Amino acid sequence: MKVSLSWLKDFVDIDVTVEALAEKLVSAGFEVEEIIAASKTMKNVVLGKIVKLDKHPDADKLQICQIDVGKGEPVQIVTGAQNVSEGDLVPVALDNSLLPTGQVIKKGKLRGVVSNGMLCSGEELKLTEEDYEGAGVYGIMLMNKEKYPIGTDLNDIFSSDDAILDVSVTANRSDCNSVLGLAREVATVLKKPLKMPKISFKTNKNTNVNDIVKVSVKDKELCPRYMAAAVTDVKIEPSSDYIQKRLKSVGLKPINNIVDITNFIRVEIGQPMHAFDRENLAGGAIVPRRAKKGEKIVALDEKEYELDETMLVICDGEKPCAVAGIMGGVDSGINENTKTIVFESAKFLRDNIRRTSRKLNLRSDSSFRYERGIDFESQKLGLLRALSLIDQFGYGKIADGIIDELAGDVSTKTVITSVEEINSILGIEVPKEVVLDILNGLQIESKLEKGVLKCVCPAFRDDIENANDLAEEVIRLYGYDKIVGTLLRGGNQTLGGKNREQQNIDIIKEVCVSQGMSETLTYSFTTPKCFDTLMIAKDDLRRDTVKLLKPLGEDLSVMRTTLAYSMIAALASNNLKSNKKARLFEIANIYLPKNSNATDLPDEVNTLAMGCYGADEDFFTIKGSVEVLLAKFGINAEYKRANINYLHKGRSAEIYAGKERLGYLGEVHPQVANAFDVSDRLYIAEIDVDKLNKAADFSYAFAAISSYPPIERDIAIVVDESVLAGDILACVRKGGGNLLVDTKIFDIYRNESVIGKDKKSVAINLVFRLADRTLTDDEVNAKINRILNKLSGEFGAQQR
Amino acid sequence: MKEKIAKLIEQAKLAIEQSHTLAVINNVKVKFLGKSGELTQLLRGMKDVPQEERPMVGKYVNEARDIITKLTDEKTEQLTQAEIDEKMLKESVDITLDGKKQERGSLHPCSLVTNEIVDIFTSLGFTIAQGPEVELDKFCFQMLNIPPDHPARDMQDTFYISDEVLLRTHTSSVQARTMLKTKPPIRIVCPGKVYRPDDDATHSPMFQQIEGLVVDENVTLCDLKGLLETFAQRLFDASTKVRFRPSFFPFTEPSVEVDVSCSVCHGKGCRICKGTGWIEILGAGVVNPKVLDNCGIDSKKYKGLAFGMGIERIAMIKYGIPDMRILFENDVRFLKSFK
Repeated sequence: MKVSLSWLKDFVDIDVTVEALAEKLVSAGFEVEEIIAASKTMKNVVLGKIVKLDKHPDADKLQICQIDVGKGEPVQIVTGAQNVSEGDLVPVALDNSLLPTGQVIKKGKLRGVVSNGMLCSGEELKLTEEDYEGAGVYGIMLMNKEKYPIGTDLNDIFSSDDAILDVSVTANRSDCNSVLGLAREVATVLKKPLKMPKISFKTNKNTNVNDIVKVSVKDKELCPRYMAAAVTDVKIEPSSDYIQKRLKSVGLKPINNIVDITNFIRVEIGQPMHAFDRENLAGGAIVPRRAKKGEKIVALDEKEYELDETMLVICDGEKPCAVAGIMGGVDSGINENTKTIVFESAKFLRDNIRRTSRKLNLRSDSSFRYERGIDFESQKLGLLRALSLIDQFGYGKIADGIIDELAGDVSTKTVITSVEEINSILGIEVPKEVVLDILNGLQIESKLEKGVLKCVCPAFRDDIENANDLAEEVIRLYGYDKIVGTLLRGGNQTLGGKNREQQNIDIIKEVCVSQGMSETLTYSFTTPKCFDTLMIAKDDLRRDTVKLLKPLGEDLSVMRTTLAYSMIAALASNNLKSNKKARLFEIANIYLPKNSNATDLPDEVNTLAMGCYGADEDFFTIKGSVEVLLAKFGINAEYKRANINYLHKGRSAEIYAGKERLGYLGEVHPQVANAFDVSDRLYIAEIDVDKLNKAADFSYAFAAISSYPPIERDIAIVVDESVLAGDILACVRKGGGNLLVDTKIFDIYRNESVIGKDKKSVAINLVFRLADRTLTDDEVNAKINRILNKLSGEFGAQQR
Repeated sequence: MKEKIAKLIEQAKLAIEQSHTLAVINNVKVKFLGKSGELTQLLRGMKDVPQEERPMVGKYVNEARDIITKLTDEKTEQLTQAEIDEKMLKESVDITLDGKKQERGSLHPCSLVTNEIVDIFTSLGFTIAQGPEVELDKFCFQMLNIPPDHPARDMQDTFYISDEVLLRTHTSSVQARTMLKTKPPIRIVCPGKVYRPDDDATHSPMFQQIEGLVVDENVTLCDLKGLLETFAQRLFDASTKVRFRPSFFPFTEPSVEVDVSCSVCHGKGCRICKGTGWIEILGAGVVNPKVLDNCGIDSKKYKGLAFGMGIERIAMIKYGIPDMRILFENDVRFLKSFK
């Protein structure tokens, strides 16, 4: 909300600087975003009149002007401009003057002739045609229509001595979206009386509003109050300087006297108004009613809007003339021939205006104001103030009488509480008298009787509903600096900490970091094209996503169902930045819709993604990291060859804990990497954290450590290339029984001429040991034979 | 005889002294003390010594053996040590070369901040509550005193999935869910991702918040200030001051913006605090009794205190990160600077 200091001064005697006022408003809860044009932008620039014009004796393009600047003797100034004549009113920068551009003007000589200053163009005064008629012309800005006396400081004419406060008004204080509302707060913080706007006008007893217009409200729910007044013999013309200056100061463009008054009232009183041309109201009727489905209106913005029955329209005897509270129709507005107008000052249901405005995608200053809420009393004040301005500036004859269709409950609200209750919220002892002073100062009529605090709230403070609201009013004016810190003095002791799942997240992160991975942060929303990039099948469930209705862009339009895409993207972006290697991880949710309708919440599955690339990385480095993590969680995982479209067919695995699939790991499919412009090999893993938690076993059990020596043997077998190491070891363990305490593959050797085509030699280390005695060679030899027999039976393995 | 023995000792001493390797000293040992060594030879000459002198000579011989043994042992020990020393000297490495290691990775700066904040509050008796990011309008707005079409909805633009389903705009929805299923006293913090349609240097459409809630008897605005003072002093430093400014949130009343004294310039004014000496980091307030009632908590008996802050913003302040978008670029060079 922008408000000028001079406008506020109409209602409060402000005797502090604008900066001091701003500070006080901030401490009372009104953030002042900006103070604009707080100081004069020009000095020593005045309105002057050219009394005499002569040719420069030595220069064809220069003229010598004698200018009356209100000081008796004319001032001589030489100008190069050609658009001036004797009798013109012009802006004159005198000797030692400062222009808004920062330029300083001093007297001097032009081609030998003394010049005591400069005549200014609009550009030099930083004015545009919008600001001032004539400011846009090439040459000197002519001010011939100006009524200010000669010699007037231009600051006074362009009101740049005024300060504009841009106040951010919180959603609970809709009343402060007006000059009057803010003035009320200013009066409170400065402890000054509030002067109400001047209401005074004469009416023409010969005409009555009821003879000009009939109002019949058809929907009292959406339109709880409708007031109207009429003005005849209107002459449409530019409004007075007073009104224009005020409107411009808050960034509004003056249009004509009637429209300007409606805007003026909206800013000053906070009541949006509308002016209808009586000529265009068929049958002289105003009928606020719900629109019919499919009914159409062309609004002032010259666009056609299709309405429905949730929307309120203002109709005449035949057709809709305005979308209530939002915008008038293009046909019912004021034009230069308008003679009789009808002012509307109404209260429309707040939420309905917001809904309608969003549905139609049609906004206006009026709808903005209505959406914030308007009390029941502004309609009358606004209308009377508008009529007072009509009267003051003689814009027409005011018909006798005012129409007031009131359906709402206008009784005042009373909150009953106690000073003790207020203080129990605040935690300090604010004295009773201070509480009463503050509340009454805010026009909340408060009385304390036998410990009961009774507060009658004025209409404009419908935000106040309970003791907490009153406590806030008290403390914001008593001062938040009075609140002293106490560390939950009255609270009950509670046991804090993390639960098992939350601790597990910390463990996962610690393992990942110890494995050299850095944690990434990527968006939860992604592009629906990601599934094509990942070459995911058309009927894959992961293509079923939670979709945003209005995303910031297609790239961020669906909630992700896999972390693979963002992990690959993060690896790729590092790769493209010439980072030679990267190890990354992220823990984030994926969002899996429960069914196709968007009314149920999706399953949010906490998921771990790992990724890496670089010269030292391969399938086994990422597998190693996964193994370290699973070992930490006490999970003995099994790895099965995976068939995942975006992974390398021969270098990918699914991770199982028993029958539960925890996730997968592997090399990214070269075509997918290619789609990210990466030619290096990328490796990723994705693990369901919820399942990991379920499979976790953090119990530790004591097992006796054997003090007898182990017997180690190595064997080498030749098998088909397709036989998997995991299967070989499983077979070895089965054959070795409980004597075999450890086994691993330590070498794989391929040589077609020695071993055969599609064959490999696998060297296996075996460690035998018993807890209670030393093993004999015979026992070990028997086990080895058994192992070799099993390997031969299962894989056709031959010992080398 | 006696002279012979003395001469032998002198000879041995000289030989030992001149031994510079273990092999030489071993030979010396054999030469003087061995089975056919010089001393043994001397003993063999005992038969030529008169009977009465034999005990004396025996004594001299034994003394000589002891002296030579001791000297050779000493020399052997000395040479052994020297040999080990020389071997180690040869094996010497450049100790300034890098160690062999698995480099540690790093937590995201937002995680570091979240961890710090969570640790502070768990030590004050808070547990961690979590809830869905795709949320019902009911929990995100309505129960928090933001009915449909209320002007307060404009405070937070929202990503909708349908009329009733949306991406939560704040983690306050978790507060509503927690109050519905938990009896006071409640002390929770709710960290998590939230979503709003903004995207610039200080806003991201996805960001993280951590919110806190206390529901208890006899808690006040002063307790809220004390709690946040303790928090700010632990998060920044012990001299940090906290300032309340009036504000508005639909779910708290009174509502405050919370500023902390600038941890960079300690109130003198700098670029981080834009010269004010204060940095706004939190919104907070006394829970509106309407919200307590909506969530099934007797507002006559209990009061609530609530606060919330943006993780990214605090990370930016703490680590001097100028643009929020850097946090989402995931460049390992940036990430690794938070080891």
